[in-house]
Amino acid sequence: MSAWIVIIIAAVAILMALFVGLRSKFTQTKEGKMMAFVGLLILPTICVGLGFEEQMTRAESTNFCLSCHVMNDFGHSLYVDDKSYIPAVHYQNNFVPRDHACYTCHTNYAMFGTVKAKWGGMHHLLVQYLGTIPKPEDIRPYEPYNNRECLHCHLGSRRFEENDAHLKTATLMADIKADRLTCTSSKCHDTVHDVGTLKDATFWKPGATK
Amino acid sequence: MKNIFQSLSMGRALKWSGFLVSTGLIVQLLCLVRIHPFSFIAFLGIGCPLVGAGIVLYLFSILTQSDKPQA
Repeated sequence: MSAWIVIIIAAVAILMALFVGLRSKFTQTKEGKMMAFVGLLILPTICVGLGFEEQMTRAESTNFCLSCHVMNDFGHSLYVDDKSYIPAVHYQNNFVPRDHACYTCHTNYAMFGTVKAKWGGMHHLLVQYLGTIPKPEDIRPYEPYNNRECLHCHLGSRRFEENDAHLKTATLMADIKADRLTCTSSKCHDTVHDVGTLKDATFWKPGATK
Repeated sequence: MKNIFQSLSMGRALKWSGFLVSTGLIVQLLCLVRIHPFSFIAFLGIGCPLVGAGIVLYLFSILTQSDKPQA
């Protein structure tokens, strides 16, 4: 939903609400009653609904997540010039949409996953404005990272299914798929954001040729 | 609660309703200017309650007006 639609409807609603408020005698006529009904009930309700949807969509954007100061280093970690940094590889190679990079990996691909992710986001806001903000290197997910989130994209892909490292033992692939062996803490893909090591890292500059 | 609304005349209730709705919508519009968590909080914490209060006031003004005996 384009923000412009919300803006236009809200602008019309504001004018109608102000008119009804300032010229309340006009509402004694039939047209005035209809105007009050539309301007004070129908359009504001539509505006709140569309505005809420727009705000929720914006809350999924990378810009939104990185707009808090404490998230700066996590944003920088997406530009590390090192293939062992999992988020950087995904971001730089468009394995995830860049404008929704955080949400794509940190949402929960299960029933009510979006609701759970948004609830987690509300908790972030609570900490940001009312709590004690931790150091970036101390920030951890609320729950251990579930392989389900990786498998949402990788499951069935040839690169994943036929990778020798994933087929080393007879049960390895089954363990990965059942989340008995975690992708990110199994000494396989364990370099994630690692914001504590960024000062020694080199960074990719988009558009710059080597 | 009903007495509070009944004490307001229809015109006065509509004035307040219009003021609350338009202020809430202006806040909601301002929240669209920038993508930031504070915009999100202001939308939910200020804009929505103002618009909601305006709508409730408008609905109560209709209800209480219809309760009054016709002259």
